[in-house]
Amino acid sequence: MGKVINVIEQIDAIATKHPDWIAYDYLGEKNTYGELKAYSDSLASYILTRGIKEESPIMVYGAQTFKMIATFLGIVKSGHAYVPIDRHSPAERLTMINEIAEPGLCIAVEDLPISLKDLPILEGQELVDVFESNKSVTPNSFVTGDDNYYIIFTSGTTGKPKGVQISHNNLLSFVNWEVNDFDLPEQPATLSQPPYSFDLSVMDLYPTLVLGGTLKAIPKQVTDDFKKLFEVLPTLGLNVWVSTPSFMDICLLQPTFDAEHFPALTRFLFCGEELTHATAQALKQRFPNAKIFNTYGPTEATVAVTSIEITDEVLEKYDRLPIGHLKDDTAGFILDDNEDIANAGTEGELVLAGPSVSKGYLNNQEKTDEAFFEYDGQQAYKTGDLTVMDEDGMLYYRGRTDFQIKLHGYRIELEEVNHYLNNDPLIQSGVAVPKYGKDNKVAQLVAYVVPEKNDFDSQIKLTVAIKDSLKDNMMEYMVPNRFIFVDSLPQTANGKIDIKTVIAEVNA
Amino acid sequence: MDTKETVLNILADLTGNDVSGSMDENLFDSGLLDSMGTVQLLLQLQTELGIEAPVSEFERSEWDTPNKIIAKVEELQ
Repeated sequence: MGKVINVIEQIDAIATKHPDWIAYDYLGEKNTYGELKAYSDSLASYILTRGIKEESPIMVYGAQTFKMIATFLGIVKSGHAYVPIDRHSPAERLTMINEIAEPGLCIAVEDLPISLKDLPILEGQELVDVFESNKSVTPNSFVTGDDNYYIIFTSGTTGKPKGVQISHNNLLSFVNWEVNDFDLPEQPATLSQPPYSFDLSVMDLYPTLVLGGTLKAIPKQVTDDFKKLFEVLPTLGLNVWVSTPSFMDICLLQPTFDAEHFPALTRFLFCGEELTHATAQALKQRFPNAKIFNTYGPTEATVAVTSIEITDEVLEKYDRLPIGHLKDDTAGFILDDNEDIANAGTEGELVLAGPSVSKGYLNNQEKTDEAFFEYDGQQAYKTGDLTVMDEDGMLYYRGRTDFQIKLHGYRIELEEVNHYLNNDPLIQSGVAVPKYGKDNKVAQLVAYVVPEKNDFDSQIKLTVAIKDSLKDNMMEYMVPNRFIFVDSLPQTANGKIDIKTVIAEVNA
Repeated sequence: MDTKETVLNILADLTGNDVSGSMDENLFDSGLLDSMGTVQLLLQLQTELGIEAPVSEFERSEWDTPNKIIAKVEELQ
């Protein structure tokens, strides 16, 4: 298809021309493009009457439902950015994001677990009434150009999450690349599995909508129940698959997950963590004629910026799969230890520059200045990812320059986990480290903990109590999988916890 | 190594706890296992004991304690 000029207007154009096309399918409950336009226009019109400061974002709390995406679209039509927060987030995270983002409104598609100080809330029947109020808006108010479109919060090192600001221009660069370079079909039926607070979801959401396709949502309660998952998956008629490699590993456990049982499924897009050779090869055997793509990118550069199609030749050639070539509009180079631009073949930190690179972190100048700068008239970002680029511009991922890890696609700063461990009433001191599997991927997050004096009669009970208490404050995926109780933690010469020694011990 | 011992070793590795003293502890309710942990459990059972447990037949309620997991594995052997 031709280049998309404006994401919102493109979706509206489809709604006007084909109001009965299905935009969203939640386990058989279907909503059309016509409804998407009507709901989002009405919501935008309502937001415009509330006189919210132009630069204030709007928080959205909910799960994978049609009302969520209608809310996103309504917010950007009113000229504001949205901050998606998944229903499974702990109350503490909501409070913190509220403090950092200073939103002008919170739209609670699902009931909020807590009240947020001084923040007006649109929820329940009032929200339904707004959706159904049949109001209209003009494109004059739409988010455009460098205005923020969405703000996604990621793990921060001090226990404070960082809000990555993605503008309409950033999103546009990403959407045009995905729609054209991945050979997506018109009107695709696309799997919509990751939560909207995780930017992998943007990979299914906007490319599908600008192509007039259908998002096939599978909520967390289905993904967590394998039996239900495999009742649902074959009924979806999927054409395009978007997920983390970890989620694919679950599906590959099912012998009937193959081209014979999923004949329409011809595109697989992976992002969020390393795609291992083993996973890619198993998938290629099950779906020999499908196109499988490995992609890579930090949230700060809008979802993904490199790609490679995993063909039989690629599987033959590489033991560890490369992350591919940069998209055409993005420049990249490698910085060596002296912060000089390295030659081809040298390992160093990858720096990205181009139209999909974010302007920085919301209300956090310090962290923005650390990672973002201007290069050759373009916005640039230091990824913290160790990579090698060969003479042909092919990129190979090697690891991190810091203590950030990916666990099943989720980005976690170990310092953030440690912050919560050390603030927990049951813990005197603790440190979380990754345990790697045979495939270079983090298999588990392991915590070494010196517990406070306690009356628990077994380590299991203590582990359970600590996990419970941590879940009140941190995202579930950040809670360490294993706890190892020790009398003391190794220390460096200057009295800090020696995290490298603990990492070596866990992976011995 | 017999089946029981192998399963307990796998569980010890996944959960970080010796569960042999808690054979009827619900591993999901207690947060010791989650869905990715389950995938690793099934993969380990496949590698170490040759058990093929299709996920489409996986009922969490049949696999939620060490005793139930051992019984399930013995049934599938």
